[in-house]
Amino acid sequence: MKIGFIVNPYAGMGGAVGLKGTDGKIDEAISRGAVKESPAKATRFLSGITRKDIHFFTAAGEMGEVELKDAGFSYTCVYHPQYPSGTGKRTTADDTLHTCRECIRNQCDIIIFCGGDGTARDVFSCTGRDTLILGIPTGVKIYSGVFATSPESAARLLSQWDKTSSTDGEVMDVDEEEYRRGHLNTNLFGYAKIPSAPIPCQSCKQISGGDTGRALEEIASFITEIMRDDTLYLLGAGTTTGAVAERLGISHTLLGIDAIFQERVVGSDLNESQILRLLDSYERVKIILSPIGAQGFILGRGNQQISHRVLARTGRDALIVIATEEKLKNTKSLYIDTGNPEMNAVFGDTIQVICGYRMAIRAPLNRETILSGSVPAG
Amino acid sequence: MDTKIILDENEMPKKWYNIQADLKTPLDPPMHPQTKKPVRPSDLELIFPKELIKQEMCQDRYIDIPGEVRDIYTLWRPSPLYRAFRLEKVLKTPAKIYYKYEGVSPPGSHKPNTAIAQAYYNMKEGIERIATETGAGQWGSSLAFATQLFGLECKVYMVRGSYDQKPYRKMMMQTWGATCVPSPSPDTNSGRAILAKDPDTPGSLGIAISEAVEDAATHDNTNYSLGSVLNHVCLHQTIIGLETQKQLEMVDETADVVIASAGGGSNLAGLSFPFVKDKIDGKNPDVEIIAAEPAACPSLTKGMYAYDYGDVAGLTPLLKMFTLGHDFIPPSIHAGGLRYHGMAPLVSHLHADKLIDSTSVYQNEVFDAAVLFARAEGIIPAPESAHAIRIAINKALECKKSGEAKTIVFNNSGHGHFDLSSYEGYFAGSLVDYEYPAELIAQSLKNLPALS
Repeated sequence: MKIGFIVNPYAGMGGAVGLKGTDGKIDEAISRGAVKESPAKATRFLSGITRKDIHFFTAAGEMGEVELKDAGFSYTCVYHPQYPSGTGKRTTADDTLHTCRECIRNQCDIIIFCGGDGTARDVFSCTGRDTLILGIPTGVKIYSGVFATSPESAARLLSQWDKTSSTDGEVMDVDEEEYRRGHLNTNLFGYAKIPSAPIPCQSCKQISGGDTGRALEEIASFITEIMRDDTLYLLGAGTTTGAVAERLGISHTLLGIDAIFQERVVGSDLNESQILRLLDSYERVKIILSPIGAQGFILGRGNQQISHRVLARTGRDALIVIATEEKLKNTKSLYIDTGNPEMNAVFGDTIQVICGYRMAIRAPLNRETILSGSVPAG
Repeated sequence: MDTKIILDENEMPKKWYNIQADLKTPLDPPMHPQTKKPVRPSDLELIFPKELIKQEMCQDRYIDIPGEVRDIYTLWRPSPLYRAFRLEKVLKTPAKIYYKYEGVSPPGSHKPNTAIAQAYYNMKEGIERIATETGAGQWGSSLAFATQLFGLECKVYMVRGSYDQKPYRKMMMQTWGATCVPSPSPDTNSGRAILAKDPDTPGSLGIAISEAVEDAATHDNTNYSLGSVLNHVCLHQTIIGLETQKQLEMVDETADVVIASAGGGSNLAGLSFPFVKDKIDGKNPDVEIIAAEPAACPSLTKGMYAYDYGDVAGLTPLLKMFTLGHDFIPPSIHAGGLRYHGMAPLVSHLHADKLIDSTSVYQNEVFDAAVLFARAEGIIPAPESAHAIRIAINKALECKKSGEAKTIVFNNSGHGHFDLSSYEGYFAGSLVDYEYPAELIAQSLKNLPALS
């Protein structure tokens, strides 16, 4: 089996440091202390592969070669990035495009890439529907439906894949500048061919504007009723949490974490460090999050600022998950991926999701991802 | 050994058992909703017949079952006690599982045990019309059945969620001459107020009670009738447990575990109160008595023991009971009969005294048990009854692990022939496991009425 393998080494670096995407912000991310997410996840993917009949086609250096070499796979470097490691400059989207074209020229059965929505868009723009693709999620924004749920599940999928079965996955991207301004502006790029196997791919992220107003009102009404004056509330991203803010009559960062105390915003669009500092000042803390669209990630995609370090301080019981029934119906699984397998495991097999006024659903957590965990973000 | 343990008609109990006579401490009195002072019998005469008010407060240990009521009971009573041999075999448990089957009554549940009695006493006192509420429709159809036997009119306010889910229950009521409307309805002030606020509400038992009480209070020669919660309802249902004890004696068995589902509490009271007496008397002190509740509406398991209204609008007396708050509208689970915010004061009192335990279970695990039971024993249980089946199976599986041959008795309180759409949902995988977020709500249970 011929596999194209492309690592976007800088994908995902903005997440834990509060940048909504890494494009054009790598220097800022690094200055905020971000570390590379992709290499470790690429290694996790490679270490999970069990089949032996694979030859990889990749780009030199940190775009795949390093991890393949370390893992001992047979591979061919089909492209050398314009600015190799050590030159002080970074790889670009052009490098991804060139590598992708070379993989196609070498008749790869599938192209597997480590990145986010931006990388997916670049890869798809080369492959179209002619070559299968599969993403290993390392980016900040994962709205496309072409990603496996974790590096491990991508490896399992690859191990079970018979080269013939495929399905469609949406390739989407988010306008990064708009995203940073708090506007979710998504575009459907097209439908890629992705491998189909029993291991679930992440569904295309659902935009929750379709939530019924009544359910949102009920949730907001209940959450505001239980809010206490002695407790700091960290309110996560999304329109469901936004309904809580609206009920309180306060502003809300659609795609970030806000802190609320006594019905007032005491911190907006916080990153992990800022949250940790806030925790020094407040004894009681609750975290109100909603799963991200149809992907069902409560933690791990879109709320990376709520890291395992934050949860270690607040405790598991601080987490209040909210979602409408409709949203849950369209969510195949719920996932918690804090970046720390031990922390993931404390959440158990199920989680309570507030879905109405004094009403909750006991929803199963997908243990596969919980147990596999991921590399700590940031 | 026989599968069915049957009593002759002349062995049917001639008295109900009144557990008020055996309480260590007396029940806290119901309070008037306006004055917040203990209710006087005369306060209740507006909507209840005198004999039922007397029974509500009576301290006699046993109360005679009128001959005319017993005559009607013989249409299905004594009900059979089954040994669930086939279920035991499927579970590979050493436990001995018995179930009392109340689904043999014409309306298909335990509810006519009190419906007949209540209709009788109303008829004796010259009442011509009765208003009531119903959740899943078991109570409404039972009262419809009972009132037509005594020539009374009957108006039933049926919780809208169930009204839509279970149209055949409405037709049963119609067959027995009753009028059934979805609640909240435009027929009452309380119904209109709720519809104005929330036209799409699925309704709740609390809302339907408000409507029925208002109907009774505002119509001539009309009384109100409640299918659960109140002391006299629990009293009438004790015929279930009294028969069960006789039947167990016939096969020389003593119950180790007694289980019944609990919504308002009368089903549980009916089976368990005679066993609670044995526990209090020291005759069977270790018998474990368990209320099986839905996780979506776990009043005993997660509620607060406090005075609260029995209905949403606050028209009923305040009762000391385990409650989730009278304004709580439970989600539309398929066990519609268990969607009640409170619990019978007698059951609550016994739970507070640790004589009755409780467990809550999720909808899907309940239907898992219902289907397992139906495939083993043949009877398709009502979703409400299946809560008890779930706990009974759990207990039997515990016995399998421990090797204990406990005698487990549960009340299979009704059949599920009108609940097949719920089964359809289960098989389609569309049932949602609702739960009551008790820990969060504990921070905000500020809607209970103050008595000071």
